Amino acid sequence: MSLSRFLLKRSLHGLFVVWGVITVVFGLRVIAPGDPANVLLPPNVDPEVRQQVIRELGLNEPLYVQYFEFVAGIPTGDLGLSLTTRTPVAARVLAKLPATLELAVAATVVAVIIAIPLGVISATRRHDPADYGATVFSLLGISTPNFWLGVMLIILFAVQLDMFPTSRRPVGFDTIVAQALALQFGSAWDALTTWLWHITLPAITLGTYFTALITRLTRSGMLDELGKTYVRASRAKGLPETLVRYKHVLRNTLIPVITVVGLQLGTLIGGAVITEAVFAWPGLGSLIINSFNARDWPVLQGSLIVVGAGFVVTNILVDAFYAYLNPQVTYD
Amino acid sequence: MADEILKVRDLKTRFFTEEGQVNAVEGVSFDVRDGEIYGIVGESGSGKSVTALSLIDLVESPGRVTSGEVWYRNTELAEEFRDENPEAVDGEFVDVRRLPKGVRRSLRGPSFSMIFQDPMSSFNPSLTVGEQIAEAVEVQRRARANPRRTRSRTQGYGLGKMLVDSLVPSKSYVQDASMDRAVELLEQVGIPDPVDRADEYPHQFSGGMLQRAMIAQALAGEPDVLVADEPTTALDVTIQAQILNLLRDLQRDEGMSVVMITHDLGVIARMCDRVGVMYAGEIVERGTLEDVFENPVHPYTQGLLGSIPDLADPAPRLQPIEGNVPSLIDSEMGDRCYFADRCPKAMEDCLQRIPEFDAEKAGASDDEHRVRCVLAERQYDESQALHDGHFEEQEVAADD
Repeated sequence: MSLSRFLLKRSLHGLFVVWGVITVVFGLRVIAPGDPANVLLPPNVDPEVRQQVIRELGLNEPLYVQYFEFVAGIPTGDLGLSLTTRTPVAARVLAKLPATLELAVAATVVAVIIAIPLGVISATRRHDPADYGATVFSLLGISTPNFWLGVMLIILFAVQLDMFPTSRRPVGFDTIVAQALALQFGSAWDALTTWLWHITLPAITLGTYFTALITRLTRSGMLDELGKTYVRASRAKGLPETLVRYKHVLRNTLIPVITVVGLQLGTLIGGAVITEAVFAWPGLGSLIINSFNARDWPVLQGSLIVVGAGFVVTNILVDAFYAYLNPQVTYD
Repeated sequence: MADEILKVRDLKTRFFTEEGQVNAVEGVSFDVRDGEIYGIVGESGSGKSVTALSLIDLVESPGRVTSGEVWYRNTELAEEFRDENPEAVDGEFVDVRRLPKGVRRSLRGPSFSMIFQDPMSSFNPSLTVGEQIAEAVEVQRRARANPRRTRSRTQGYGLGKMLVDSLVPSKSYVQDASMDRAVELLEQVGIPDPVDRADEYPHQFSGGMLQRAMIAQALAGEPDVLVADEPTTALDVTIQAQILNLLRDLQRDEGMSVVMITHDLGVIARMCDRVGVMYAGEIVERGTLEDVFENPVHPYTQGLLGSIPDLADPAPRLQPIEGNVPSLIDSEMGDRCYFADRCPKAMEDCLQRIPEFDAEKAGASDDEHRVRCVLAERQYDESQALHDGHFEEQEVAADD
């Protein structure tokens, strides 16, 4: 099967998954306690006004009609109006998406850049101090909670050492790209440094668990591969150790690691809630928390649907990439 | 008589595990001559595969070749190291174990090569078979172009070069000429449509075809000595015969020497000129094929031969050797003949260490039939026999 057919087929599957997400998200609103009208209206309001608001929101309709209208709106990009700001949900969610993607990608890049060399060193120098160091680091990384790490990094690097800002995202990556495309390299450079300066601590906070995970995966995967007979056969035919280690062993180790990286990237899109809260990072995570606290159901639903769709898309891409890397897997 | 290409002397390989020191190879000596097939036969766990790996310096941690000499005839190396390292040179021979690590590594391919038991796991599943054979060709091409660099730690191919090669699409470690040679090699080992098959992955090959491909890979460096570790064990019986014929034809055409390691006495009988029988890390009997197969002296060899069915004279029951190969853990190996506890002819003298083959000390050729057993010099004497259960009682005594 060709790549394009594979992508088409998987996209169709993906649509069903997204539809499932939409249905669950809709169902959550239905079963959750708290009437949306209460969010909008002060207590002790005139029952007639209350009825009118309920009619305006369409909440008086039977459930199946509400469901149908909710689902039918989504392909046109209509996720409804925010209860608190009365602005379109889709616009609000999309405005927050870049910040979240930036943070997720930055965390992944930090993780991969640190974790893969660390895993390789750890596996090739087994029982060496470097190996023990890497093992301890990954154990600590996996067991350190995000919120604590974020706060500690702020206290140390932002407050005490004053090396990084404590929070916020004054400039987005889209701005940098726009300036670079407009050939304003000076201001693009300034924007880039500001961006890097602000994203460093959140990216480390979000990426630490992930770094530790990938280090462990790389280490154990590589040890596994190094024990295989083809490694011995490669050495027996006189291949330089560089080639044995990187062209053969590391490449095969990374095939499963890349799958995890891809899936984890999908999780990071929705899972940065705590990190975003700690660093006041204006992404989807903050939006989800805020809309949840405000009982702003349409925004919450919209955010969750976007997160779900993002997860599905990364999954499809990871599978396609996996089949590309591993000749034993075909696009079936 | 042909000259020796390889003289192995008192080779010892140990594994340092948590359970203790394992003496996998315990003082093995044998010679391999130009253009001969030397057989090493033994049960699983007798140390024959580790012997093979020790020969080409591929024993991996926690294992290590701890002592012994591997004399390899190579005039160029002998000249090169005669002044620098006189201990490592003896006439035309060099002791591979005393050469620097880089030189030892550079011998893999053009001097020694190895084929393994299971072809499916001996190829990298995510590269094409052609590319993997071409790599073996390419290593030697680069080595010829620049022999000195080949001995460096990275063999002239560091991480930086590799990164450039993998990132620049037009560059690659393997050059086109090597790929063409790989196709030739595939053809030489009898793979049909070698051009197409070179672009296929290992899982698209059958076991027999892949074993042929592995032989092609091992031939890429035109080795003087090919070590074949159970080359047919993982294959169907019909394919086994084909692979053995192929190996023998190639060995004759290329004039190389083969060390054939197997548990299969049939393979030895069919292929080998001379043979060594291994037990518990030692060679217990050796000589020409006829000597060992027609007149076995060591009770272990007799037992091995007795456990194959004979079509001409079908015995009512095959005679297995009772018990298993000992654990080889140093502390449990006592000072006695290691086979005594399974030996039907064990005598009191067997509780002492059996002396080395005397020929080794004199440095004479090992063409003679030699046996590491008290029975080599005298007859079995029932009055001195150990009573049944002698070793079990000792174990019980030790446990108390």
